[in-house]
Amino acid sequence: MALSRVLAQALSVVAFIAIPAIAADSRATIQHTVDQKTNIETWQLQDDGVEVLLIQISPDQARGFFLARGFKRVDVDYYAASCVFATVVKNQSSAPISYRLADWRYAKPGGAPRKLKLKEDWLREWKQRGVSQSARIAFEWSQHPDAQTLEPNDWNQGMTTYQVPHGSRFDLIVKWKRGAKNYEDTIRSIRCAD
Amino acid sequence: MRIRFGVFVVRIKLLRALLFAIVVALGSVLGTQVSFAGEAVFSPVPGYPVAPQIKLLDMDGKQVDLEKLRGQVVLVNFWATWCPPCRREMPSLQRLWKKLEKSNLHIVAVNVGEDADTVLSFMGILDISPTFPIVFDKNSAVLRAWPVRGLPTTFLIDRKGHIIYRAIGGRDFDSPESIALITKLLASK
Repeated sequence: MALSRVLAQALSVVAFIAIPAIAADSRATIQHTVDQKTNIETWQLQDDGVEVLLIQISPDQARGFFLARGFKRVDVDYYAASCVFATVVKNQSSAPISYRLADWRYAKPGGAPRKLKLKEDWLREWKQRGVSQSARIAFEWSQHPDAQTLEPNDWNQGMTTYQVPHGSRFDLIVKWKRGAKNYEDTIRSIRCAD
Repeated sequence: MRIRFGVFVVRIKLLRALLFAIVVALGSVLGTQVSFAGEAVFSPVPGYPVAPQIKLLDMDGKQVDLEKLRGQVVLVNFWATWCPPCRREMPSLQRLWKKLEKSNLHIVAVNVGEDADTVLSFMGILDISPTFPIVFDKNSAVLRAWPVRGLPTTFLIDRKGHIIYRAIGGRDFDSPESIALITKLLASK
């Protein structure tokens, strides 16, 4: 009896240790956190070894960042009118993944899905608006790549933008591919910083 | 007493066996994560393409030419001061450099779109300032010739001038796995 009790306790300890590690890769989970000091909100999606992280960037943070990179006030105001998120994609699986932001969609509640405004779209506008080359270079490399292939343990960070009012909410459909398998997840009720 | 003592011995043995099982199970879970994290510091680059040219000026206005480093193992890191993972990984690049400088590892850090003053300000806030060459790709022309889509991206170039490994995103470059891989590369002819 003592043996079976000890064995049962030991197995439960092993199970407690092992199950979360297995389950984390077998289903999509989304976590929403709020930084207690800064009130910055973060959404973290995990699905089959891939992590997508969206971290709020406030309009003031966006303005400050690009003013320091040589943008004029009128241009940073134009950019900061969009909803900006620091966007991280991590490949923690054992096989390469690829994705294109052109495949992602976002939608306001009850609204139709919309394409993201991509880096190339912004760069075209900056050129038309006469933004300096050095500022455009900083902009280009600070934005999330339009397309990327990540080997195991690779990750990328960069800004993505959404044309929704500050303080409003939207859903984001993220897509990626591993081999022949396509993945699609929706992060719901993401709040645009104000 | 003997029976109780016997039971006690059996239980100790049993507990030892179970403890061993738990440690093995825990080790396999944690060990999987540790080795997974380590082995993927760099990923092999299919086809081993020839590294594009880098001919840029460093902080002192001295030209660094990747072509002249042919025959050496070179780590090329593309970065910018405003890129958070680039900033975080820079001290680990310096530690790697200190560990393998005498083994003839060369590091070239290519700053994208900034000037020497900006980089100097950034280096001033680091506990360990980089002593390997930092060169300036002000118009990002060099960067565009390389297979880079985001910062930071790091490449390992073999003695024949081919890109053989790549890492996208910040890394701990002086991790044992990273050092073992680069040491192996340095030992190859």
